[in-house]
Amino acid sequence: MTLLAPRTARALALLALIQTGVLAVMVFDRTRLLTSGREITLPIIPVDPRDLFRGEYVELGYAVGRVPARLLEGAPPSPNAPFYVTLEKAQDGTWTPAKLTRDKPQEAGPDRIVLKGRSRFGRLALNAGDADAVHSVRYGIEQYFVPQGEGPRLEALARDKKLAALIAVDGSGNAAIKGILIDGRLQYEEPLL
Amino acid sequence: MSWYRSKLERDLKRWQAAGWVTADGAGAIRKDLDQTKSAFAAAPVLAVLGAVLFGFAVMSFVAAHWTGMSKLARLALLIATLWACYGGAAVLFQRQLAAFAHAAVLGGIAVYGASIMLIAQMYHMEGNPADAVLLWALGALLAAVLVSSPAALAASFVLLSVWGAWERMGSESALYSFLVPWTGAALTAAWLRWRPGLHLAALTLVLWIVPLGFLVWGHHAHWLVVLIGGAVAAVAAVCGSAIDRHFQLSAALFSYGLAVTYAGLFILQFLDDGRWLLGSSDSAPVLRLLLLAILALVLLLGAMVWALNSDNRPALWLAYTAFALEIFTLYVRTFGSLLNTSLFFLVAALIVSALAWLAYRLHRSKTAPEAAT
Repeated sequence: MTLLAPRTARALALLALIQTGVLAVMVFDRTRLLTSGREITLPIIPVDPRDLFRGEYVELGYAVGRVPARLLEGAPPSPNAPFYVTLEKAQDGTWTPAKLTRDKPQEAGPDRIVLKGRSRFGRLALNAGDADAVHSVRYGIEQYFVPQGEGPRLEALARDKKLAALIAVDGSGNAAIKGILIDGRLQYEEPLL
Repeated sequence: MSWYRSKLERDLKRWQAAGWVTADGAGAIRKDLDQTKSAFAAAPVLAVLGAVLFGFAVMSFVAAHWTGMSKLARLALLIATLWACYGGAAVLFQRQLAAFAHAAVLGGIAVYGASIMLIAQMYHMEGNPADAVLLWALGALLAAVLVSSPAALAASFVLLSVWGAWERMGSESALYSFLVPWTGAALTAAWLRWRPGLHLAALTLVLWIVPLGFLVWGHHAHWLVVLIGGAVAAVAAVCGSAIDRHFQLSAALFSYGLAVTYAGLFILQFLDDGRWLLGSSDSAPVLRLLLLAILALVLLLGAMVWALNSDNRPALWLAYTAFALEIFTLYVRTFGSLLNTSLFFLVAALIVSALAWLAYRLHRSKTAPEAAT
């Protein structure tokens, strides 16, 4: 029995180490995305403009979350699997969806960026054949947890103003909210740790 | 008096009366039982209660202060709790309190899962929530392997099932990749020589196989489920003694095969429209249901006879339950068209009677030579 104990202790230490490692990789991946990801600014479509920062978290809407079905290039993505939306920057600086693909396209240049998305309803719109069908896409930047104590300040600032989210995008298309802009000025930046 | 003690008292009196156990022997057995009883004493129970209460105190404290903490403080707290659980387990193993140590390991797995969810929430990671459950299940499996922990293995089977069901709901695919971690967990159960773990493995596999018909080959492939279950049950029945020479598994295999077969037949009869059987669905759905019901009842009766002959009680109860479910569902489904209902029960009665007569003949031919000697 006493012979077994040190081995068990070592096994437990290894277990704790591996599980801690998994958690550390999760955090590291995210902080790397926030620090070194390419930044784009996307205007927020207010869902309920009056009490945006009142609650614990808000659901943010984006114009790029509505992707016309005719933009699909190649095979349609499988249900529940992520797919890629290429955004294109217009003259006035706004980003709009340019194409939707199952696999990650090779896009370069300052006017194009690829975001990994998932369908809001698990699969793409059923009426995808219609000319005006629209896919509802989530990029993982739709939930915003209002930082503690910042709600009333942001709420007062945001009244009747233009809101936008500063988004960090990494090379694989993962996106994260980096900060909130009100009338073009960065008012809150997400802390890393 | 405990349940075991009262049963033993009854048995001891019977054994003593039969002359198998002497009065001294019975006294020694009673004395032994009195001594082993002290293993279940108040101290460990109170210790567990204390640990649970302590846990609740910590949880309420954290819940009250969580939103006020910085991300770094939260991460430090999660990881410190994780290490405290496994460190506590190491100390308990050293003190030879294995049961408490395994409880601490299970606590560590719970903290690991909670940490995954909380970190995902802290950093607003949406992604695919099922992936987080898979990550948790793999962590539990790792704990089961490293610490030889049955409780951790049970947790990983439950989590794998949750992951499988969730992922299937979203992807609407068969999710064959489920078999990879499942095989790992099943092998771990075999390696630990933990029989309930093997049952859990079988159960999670049954839960994976039964909905398969909805997910492959045009979403009506339930006959595939029937065939898989039937094949398993048939192999267990035919090669039973060969299997049991290596591992005592054939009886359990037969029961699981029976469960899968009947689940597939149930889906074919009542949940799916069974259009594979008679081509286009406009041709007499009643006839189709009737044919399937006869097949189901004959198979169930066959399973009952087999279970009776091989003394397989779980399979017998399973077959009884399935039979009752079959009759009840048929009755509910055909209710309203009385003619069909009566016709069906007439057919069912004829089949059961015929089988009863057959069983009686078999029984008589088996006992007749013995009576002659």
